[in-house]
Amino acid sequence: MDREVIIPMTAHRPLLDVRDLEVAYETKGGLFRKSMTTVVKGVSFHIAPGETYGLVGESGSGKSTTGRAILRLADIAGGSIDFDGTDIAGMGSRTPLSYRRDVQAVYQDPGASLNPRHHVGRAVTDALKRHGIGDRASRRKKALESFEQVGLTAAHLDRFPSEMSGGQLQRVAIARALVLEPRLVICDEAVSALDLSTQSQIINLLMDLQKDSGVSYLFITHDLGVVRHISQRVGVLKLGELVEEGVTEELFDNPQHEYTQALLTASPSSTPEGRDERRELRQKRRVSVPSLRQAS
Amino acid sequence: MTTSTVGPAAASAPAARQASGPAQAWRRLRHQPVTLAAVITIAIIIVIAAAAPLIAPYDAGETDFTSVLAGPSADHLLGTDDFGHDILSQLIYAARTALIVGVGSVLVAMLIGVPMGLILGYKGGWYDRLGSRVMDIADAMPGIMIGFVVIAILGRGTLILIFAIGLIFSMNFARMVRAITLTERKKLYVESAHVTGLRNRQIVFGQVLPNLVGPLAVQGAVFLGNAIKVEAALSFLGLGLPDDQPSWGGMLRTAAEHQVDHPWMALPPGIAIVITVLALNLLGDGINDALSGARTSRKQRKRALHQAPTLAEVEEAKRAVSSVVTTPVAVAPALAQALVTTDKHPDTVLAVRDIHIVADRPDGEVVPLVSSLDLTVGRGEVMGLLGESGSGKSMLAKSILGLLPAGVRVESGSVELAGEELVGRTERQWREIRGKKLGVVFQNPQANLSPVHTVGRQLIDPLRIHHGMSKAVARDQAADLLDMVGVKDAAKRLDDYPHQFSGGMAQRVAIAIALAGDPDVLILDEATSALDVTTQSQVLDLVLDLREKLGMAVINITHDLGVAAEACDRVAIMYHGQLLEVNDVFSLFDEPHHPYTKALLASHPTADHKVDRLPTIADFVTADGEWIAR
Repeated sequence: MDREVIIPMTAHRPLLDVRDLEVAYETKGGLFRKSMTTVVKGVSFHIAPGETYGLVGESGSGKSTTGRAILRLADIAGGSIDFDGTDIAGMGSRTPLSYRRDVQAVYQDPGASLNPRHHVGRAVTDALKRHGIGDRASRRKKALESFEQVGLTAAHLDRFPSEMSGGQLQRVAIARALVLEPRLVICDEAVSALDLSTQSQIINLLMDLQKDSGVSYLFITHDLGVVRHISQRVGVLKLGELVEEGVTEELFDNPQHEYTQALLTASPSSTPEGRDERRELRQKRRVSVPSLRQAS
Repeated sequence: MTTSTVGPAAASAPAARQASGPAQAWRRLRHQPVTLAAVITIAIIIVIAAAAPLIAPYDAGETDFTSVLAGPSADHLLGTDDFGHDILSQLIYAARTALIVGVGSVLVAMLIGVPMGLILGYKGGWYDRLGSRVMDIADAMPGIMIGFVVIAILGRGTLILIFAIGLIFSMNFARMVRAITLTERKKLYVESAHVTGLRNRQIVFGQVLPNLVGPLAVQGAVFLGNAIKVEAALSFLGLGLPDDQPSWGGMLRTAAEHQVDHPWMALPPGIAIVITVLALNLLGDGINDALSGARTSRKQRKRALHQAPTLAEVEEAKRAVSSVVTTPVAVAPALAQALVTTDKHPDTVLAVRDIHIVADRPDGEVVPLVSSLDLTVGRGEVMGLLGESGSGKSMLAKSILGLLPAGVRVESGSVELAGEELVGRTERQWREIRGKKLGVVFQNPQANLSPVHTVGRQLIDPLRIHHGMSKAVARDQAADLLDMVGVKDAAKRLDDYPHQFSGGMAQRVAIAIALAGDPDVLILDEATSALDVTTQSQVLDLVLDLREKLGMAVINITHDLGVAAEACDRVAIMYHGQLLEVNDVFSLFDEPHHPYTKALLASHPTADHKVDRLPTIADFVTADGEWIAR
């Protein structure tokens, strides 16, 4: 499958359609009082099959909470999330097993997302077992295949997380997410904690796997460089609101919202060329847009 | 009766070191002589208890009315009691009772407490609120009273006693398990299990429970000792076991009746109880230490003082090194050496010459962390130290600051700061340098600051120490410093605590503190890595402004190419403990010399432009593992 084919075709029904999503957290009030803090405010976007949608924002922007809402780990206070035509906001307290199979997650800290007391191979076999796939032997075989798919070997199956490097652990996390053949993977800062040389390998791996399987990614990150590289469309979140959305190239080349512009000028460049001008521009912008000063 | 001291330590410590796995815990356990002695003692007691009929000279109930209340003799080594029972035999059979009751009641306590704690901690909400109150009420009642009530209702007997004692301790287990579960359930691996679709039951018992094994082992050992004490106490009061069943508490009771005429009778059971309980408590402590890696023997501690590593540190250093070794390429030394351009700055303030930093492993092996590195930093220059994890960049910075962790040392070479040698200073001599001539800001903004002191205090103290200012002058100066780093209402905010500042603002405060001593060199150790991009750019801009204003040199240690590109004059590239390349930032980004630098630059995804596929390090290495020079 070529990259061009993946680029969204609006005629297709989107795989994931988020409309006016609101997420609120209960903050501590008195014994019977509940006060709610809204962290995601009316966010709407959609993801086509095989597409990578980047969600960027700074800490507190609600980007991870949006991901958690889609994973049904955060309560949805308003709006709808349609996955393949079914509204998951209206599913009730129990999540259908099929949804747990279709939507997976890869987190920032691969060490923490694996049980420190289990061999890493078990993360994969446990997932297969829960979804009733294969018997003991065939699950182990499938786990090995999935490990090989992400560049690990049979020797890695029986290691503890403490015995592996960050890049290897992230490969395990990806193997666990993809072994169930999901249709959407939420990548929450999935490459942010990795060293540059490991990061590029993991990004390439994710893109290769997407080409083979046609999986969609929701790529949540604060790193504009990574988003530009990996996603076809991007949404910019600020304090819970989606301030701008667009096709990656257009959004990066011609940002409309002043927050997007500020993010792009603040984002460190890959070359020192023109840095003095950038510094001046930042200085000016800070004077002219006081809200950005307060944001820090 | 409740040994709560072990609880919190056991609960928190293993969480931090869990990653080390059972094998390493066992290795540490073996290196604790006291714990070993405790294990051996317990093993002997178990053997004696198990083999009681073989060892004991008389049967448990055997009476010899010809010698009643006799002193030690050849027939009765420890004498006899008022029924003519042989005290030695009683003692041995009573060990059996003590162990059975002890182990049994700990098992009962776990069977009640562990599932309760797991459910309360995992479910939270109303379950937890209700359950916690039940635990509070149970804790408010003296344990021995609970024992009385159970025995009063159910009568005397071994099984009833086990149940009664188990009930007493079950709340302690529940409390501990609940506390750990509360922290575990927020961890990502539990969330991942949810996403995988695992059922709550599978998550609680399959995922969370294995992480409780360590603390439970500690608590189990300690409560085993306590249970034996409670059993002795209840039997002493005549409430525990039936009179015909030998027990240490029962023996003490007999002894107490005859304490005036036959005082020796109290000694054998008393000593048996003390030794058993002490051994079990020491075992508990030992397991706790082994899991947390906390306590080292006196010998080890002494060695640590002499810059020898603790096990944990060597393991950490080893991990850091091995993560480098497993990357596909080793540095080709000849190539690396050729490319280093140590162009001397005309006004050098810091000069690192041929420095070698090594870690000593306990087996005597010396692991190099930084090898033959030369670097000079000029006055007013921003030097970027760029490298990935394990490159040795932080170790280099720590050697400049004299803050190398125990077990890591400068083997040879020199660090000269404004004409003064820094290598080989004593801690007292370091105090004249750190904070005064060298300022440092670390990655975590909150960790840079003391949470219990106002930022004013943290600014005023160094000003008074380093410049001998009066309190009033120092306060004015502190306000000026805060103002200079861009904190609004500086004079007012002096009385705020660090937690009242946001991440970016806290980092500004940390910079102000680092500048309080008017240092020649400011070291930023990943100081902006944890900040959001807009905040990061503000802090970097601030550092550049301050450099222009104050003229200090800055060493900016970072893994972020963008930070180096935006905010450094010269950049040094480190890899695998070696300096590969130093150059002016523009030349370095335009014309990288070393293949590693080229690889690093190429593999950096940026917001400025897009490539189809990111090159990786592997693209810059031949099949034989050599750098491709191009």
